[in-house]
Amino acid sequence: MSRDKKVIVIPCSGIGKPIGTVSRETTHEIIENLAKDKAETVCLAALTSGDEETIEKVKNNYVITLDGCAKHCAQKNVEQYGKTPDKNYMILKFAAANPDKKPQGLIDIGNSGKALVDTISDKIAKDVEDLTKNKKVTEKENNH
Amino acid sequence: MDNKIIDKTEIENKHKKVGIVSCSGENLPEGSISRLATLEVLLKQKPFNTTTICLPLYVAGGEGDRMFAKNYPTITVDGCEKLCAKKATEKFSGKVTHSINVKDFIKEGENLTNRRNLNDKEKEIAKRVADEIEKNVDKILKEGQD
Repeated sequence: MSRDKKVIVIPCSGIGKPIGTVSRETTHEIIENLAKDKAETVCLAALTSGDEETIEKVKNNYVITLDGCAKHCAQKNVEQYGKTPDKNYMILKFAAANPDKKPQGLIDIGNSGKALVDTISDKIAKDVEDLTKNKKVTEKENNH
Repeated sequence: MDNKIIDKTEIENKHKKVGIVSCSGENLPEGSISRLATLEVLLKQKPFNTTTICLPLYVAGGEGDRMFAKNYPTITVDGCEKLCAKKATEKFSGKVTHSINVKDFIKEGENLTNRRNLNDKEKEIAKRVADEIEKNVDKILKEGQD
């Protein structure tokens, strides 16, 4: 049964910070390129507004949340429905660990921002692979 | 180049602000258009008269975040008929002053295909939506003066 589950990748898409754009771009890179058969996304706003179809989808699949900052909006919006994300990442920590890959702007994150997207996407694509193979993903890895 | 340092407090006192809340829907091109149009207004078309909040902060944030629509007359920008930005704002924060649905600005025969890397046609639609946001910002500011 669990083999049929998809991984729902949910970014915060924070509108006020380039790091929010990075979370969004990373999600699209995963669901459109790196793991397009295994991963999907849902609109985070639909969780905030309480859309039943979206809530059910999140409850019945694996979930990876990508938050730009320490407010953890994506994670908390999932948790309000009793679902704990299988993985949660904070993009700021990836940015701190990769100072040469700095997003340049809110609308266009530039080549260095895209390099950050590639770095994060590679890691999360591996998580998608592990989750869909039903491998245990260590919670402690959520340090990023 | 003019090197005068701008006093942000002075600007904020001079310019009343309108709140703009985008759905930013990740799962459809219209959500990306909603987000881009909102950013165009916030950053380029009306930078001194607008402000925003990350929509999911209504749940993840505190009481101060949920005061947004009470503190600012607010325009919501949604990508589809679910109207998540409008519904969430009215559920958690307060009544919205104006609501925009990107779908209303897509002409017959215009097919959207990209959630990322919007093409020229999709950027043109975003500009239409941005102009509609700007028009309503001006209207709200004018009504506030009357």
